[in-house]
Amino acid sequence: MFDIDLQSRIPIYEQLYKKIVELIMKKELNSNDKLPSVRELAKELGVNPNTVSKAFQMLERDKIIYSLAGRGSFVADVKTDFMRNKAFEDFDTAVSEALRVGIKKIELIDRIGGENND
Amino acid sequence: MINLTGVVKKFDSFTALDGVDIKIEKGTAFGLLGSNGAGKSTILRLLSGIYMQDSGEVLIDGEPAYDNVSAKQKVFFINDETVQFGSFTLRKLKDYYKGFYPNFSEEIFEKMLATVKLPMNKKIDTFSKGMKRQSIVITGLACQTDYLLLDEAFDGLDPTMRIIVKRMLVDAMMDRQLTTIISSHNLKEINEVCDTVALLHQGKVLFNRDLDSVKGNIHKVQAAFPQEYSKEDFTDMELLHFEKNQSILYLIIKGDEDFIRNNLQEKNPLVLDIIPLSLEEIFIYEMEGLGYDFNGLK
Repeated sequence: MFDIDLQSRIPIYEQLYKKIVELIMKKELNSNDKLPSVRELAKELGVNPNTVSKAFQMLERDKIIYSLAGRGSFVADVKTDFMRNKAFEDFDTAVSEALRVGIKKIELIDRIGGENND
Repeated sequence: MINLTGVVKKFDSFTALDGVDIKIEKGTAFGLLGSNGAGKSTILRLLSGIYMQDSGEVLIDGEPAYDNVSAKQKVFFINDETVQFGSFTLRKLKDYYKGFYPNFSEEIFEKMLATVKLPMNKKIDTFSKGMKRQSIVITGLACQTDYLLLDEAFDGLDPTMRIIVKRMLVDAMMDRQLTTIISSHNLKEINEVCDTVALLHQGKVLFNRDLDSVKGNIHKVQAAFPQEYSKEDFTDMELLHFEKNQSILYLIIKGDEDFIRNNLQEKNPLVLDIIPLSLEEIFIYEMEGLGYDFNGLK
């Protein structure tokens, strides 16, 4: 699940941060799922626990995860701002692409309208 | 915390350390890098109280390291020379160290012994090199010191043992804020294990920084511009290396990635790739940047 390239030039904490965000986006991790502890992850990946801590701290700062003293870290509610912004970014990209291939704005609006029947 | 301040150490006419200042925070994994003769082993020996410095201070939690039992009890030095006790059996080696280190744990020793399956009653000089190293590693970890010094940490350890040792280090770092100082040529290991690295060269510290900031602060740029540019066109940034191959420029630039990107975008590049560097490349270019003619860390 947490395959990190230890030999990559990208800092390990950054890879871990992105990997966790990716897993949440792909729904392999869902709201309130418990993440492995810093200790477990450090052992599993063969890396310094301070590095794992750093990634967790950043994720917490960005409200992607939260921690409960003595219990561990958990995936935050996916409806947070961060997730919303990410979803909007992806939406904007998809819309740009659609417009670029000649789809009209009105078609896009209809499409959203059509799927919004609940 | 470990503090080396203005440390000078000479051996006859050879100056091994020429005014070294290093601070090592508790709970970190500190990497010492440098070519042979740069001073790495001297630092480890000063910290384990084997040598005394000619000037400056070597402090372990505020106390001098040399000839000081209370400081020495906090430090275990894992190195190949420890197996000077060739005529000892592993049992005798264990008992010998147990006598010096108040926090020695039989449980940890037994647990690790079960994995390496070394004979307790045979003389260590009958062991292979790998087995000798394993002996001192398991003994050292069982001593549960606050500080662990490793000279070429994982040399001579097979992959399984490596994983076991790394896991033990994780537990020790988390449970009792173990501080490890690793002297190594193996950049892969340093990359995986260390928070901070110091590069030594001819007895001086060339730099001492958080590893992630080292990596994040230097970038490789491959770019092609509509105009011809030379080195002088980039003086507004910290350029460590400039190379041109036909129409592509290969640059090594220090600084914040966004700043660099914005700066280069102003020149309207046709191609612009900013890539992080490997640790080895970073050291080579940093050394070049400092004016050293550097052949690598071997």
